[in-house]
Amino acid sequence: MEIAAPTHLPQWRGRIYGIIGLIILLALVVVLAVSVGSVNIPFLTTSSILLSKVPLVGANPGWSGALETIILDIRLPRVILAGVVGAALATAGATYQGLFRNPLADPYLIGVAQGAALGAVIGFLLPTTWQGTGFGLIPLLAFAGALFSTAVVYNLARVGKTLPMTTLILAGVALGALLGSIVSYLIISSGEQMHGIIFWLMGSFSLSQWSEVRIVLPYVLVGAAVILLYARPLNIMQLDEEQAQQLGIDVERLKLILLAAATLITAAAVSFVGTIGFVGIITPHAVRLIWGADHRFLLPLSVLSGAIFLILADLLARTVLAPTEIPIGVITALCGAPFFLYLLRRRKKVIF
Amino acid sequence: MKNRLRWWSGLGIIFILLLGLVWACAPAPAEEPAPLAEGPSFPIEVTDQAGRVVRVDKMPEKIVSLAPSNTEIVYALGLEDRLVGVTEYCDYPEAAKEKPKIGGYSSVDVEKVVEIQPDLILAANIHKKEVIPRLEELGLTVLTLDPKTIDQVLEAINLAGRVTGKVEEASALTAEMEARIKAVTDKTETIPEAERPRVFYILWHDPLRTVSAESRIHELIIKAGGINIASDLEGGYPTISLEAVIMANPEVIIAGSGHGSGKDAPFQFAMTEPRLAEVEARKQGRVYEIDANLTSRPGPRIVDGLEQMAQFIHPELF
Repeated sequence: MEIAAPTHLPQWRGRIYGIIGLIILLALVVVLAVSVGSVNIPFLTTSSILLSKVPLVGANPGWSGALETIILDIRLPRVILAGVVGAALATAGATYQGLFRNPLADPYLIGVAQGAALGAVIGFLLPTTWQGTGFGLIPLLAFAGALFSTAVVYNLARVGKTLPMTTLILAGVALGALLGSIVSYLIISSGEQMHGIIFWLMGSFSLSQWSEVRIVLPYVLVGAAVILLYARPLNIMQLDEEQAQQLGIDVERLKLILLAAATLITAAAVSFVGTIGFVGIITPHAVRLIWGADHRFLLPLSVLSGAIFLILADLLARTVLAPTEIPIGVITALCGAPFFLYLLRRRKKVIF
Repeated sequence: MKNRLRWWSGLGIIFILLLGLVWACAPAPAEEPAPLAEGPSFPIEVTDQAGRVVRVDKMPEKIVSLAPSNTEIVYALGLEDRLVGVTEYCDYPEAAKEKPKIGGYSSVDVEKVVEIQPDLILAANIHKKEVIPRLEELGLTVLTLDPKTIDQVLEAINLAGRVTGKVEEASALTAEMEARIKAVTDKTETIPEAERPRVFYILWHDPLRTVSAESRIHELIIKAGGINIASDLEGGYPTISLEAVIMANPEVIIAGSGHGSGKDAPFQFAMTEPRLAEVEARKQGRVYEIDANLTSRPGPRIVDGLEQMAQFIHPELF
């Protein structure tokens, strides 16, 4: 690897520029997303409200309290949460794709989405009057459901001390179908809750608040950090499990750690905002098409791209028909798919 | 001379005959409004609120209602003895819960309906595409009640009265409803625009849904003397962003209650959502809860809904 490094220098440079460029782009996208909404607030007012919260810069407030609430307590937490969730799903997607060596892998491959959906639907149907206050039972049950279903899949797929990836996928698909059918049945018999459930399943940031960011962010930070640390072993895993073992990697341990980390961040991400599709599968592919398949760059670039993509998708979701909002899952698929197909046709090369 | 006499007398006879004919025919058109009275006014042909011509051959003895609002109308017209099937959501009046069920509101069990063999089915808008054609294929008589405005709620009640031989009951009920509506609008009509409170009606909190000018609830807000902050939105029951609500700064928030789990969730949301704390309605303590069945069901109780809304929006008048 070290010997080959010099010939790869231009590629390295491109990737580092890529990371720096995406960080700058992310900052710009955050400011843009905060300044656009169904209520028209001048860009200057938005910026000064944002700056007023930066220590030492603080300007005197010449705006109404309503504007400050809109910028700081409605749009900012929403934009940040969209970024965190986008980063989480893209990272988890990249991890699963690397781990399973399968381009169709996404964060929901081994039952996370269906488990979360089942948990959330049960939360909707439970007789409770405190759903409205704070964030209630639904995210908690969605999180628990996601972890539980993945744990079941993991245990079903395990053969002795090894975890064959094909068995894992099959177990995931089968359990997913089972849970999915239960969810469908519950939706049909949910009566007046049906609308809320379907909206949850398509994903929405419409009522995001700081308390949600505070809960989701730590999971995603820790999970993503763990995954980033294992970028090199993940590269070696691309050869072959046997070869990786011979090169001194504890393959089974690596699988367990990465599966756990990716599942954890996915579960945290979907528990508040619903099972948003497409980000997790498309973003890593797009990154791979542009910057190549080296996980040491693929993972951080996916973190940034996922965040940017989902912030922009949410921006569209709440502005296209403003003040009516479109479920974000509709936007991610509608905008993500054509862009991805464009990338695919443009490169016209085998990427996986 | 004789000829002329004969001519005149002939003319006279023809004239008398014509008179007789006119006299004999005259009462016939006068008999047309006869459906006013209960009795042999069947068969009757009416145009229902889906614009379909419906023929009811004889006085319906077995009525099935496919919507909670239709069930309420049936009871209000005193037809409960003839009501032989309702939906699982028909919960008013209390006695309606005891009636045989023919499925849900959107999911009608067609087999159950056929088994009952009703001679009149009162359907709603939601059944237009699938359920009604299916039931008619099976030879059943279906009347659609689909009131889009409060006036059309009154029309629906009169229509239901006509096809069930309860014309008088229907016109008495609608006259009473009209009088109560007028009692409200007489007071609110003259309120100048500036004194009409901005009202935010919450259908559901997650996602946040409200009512636009296309909905009946909007009409209730206007008739109760308020301004609907979401009147310009697309679709009858649009989602609305929290920031749009904060900017509109409503002076009155009315949350519809559901039933079962999360019954009060929209109201709890309106009362506790921290980002609404600075909205006028919250500062003034003018957040109210209303039984959503009063506001959203196009039946006789919509007047109760109107009166409650008026009390919430103009407590100084009502």
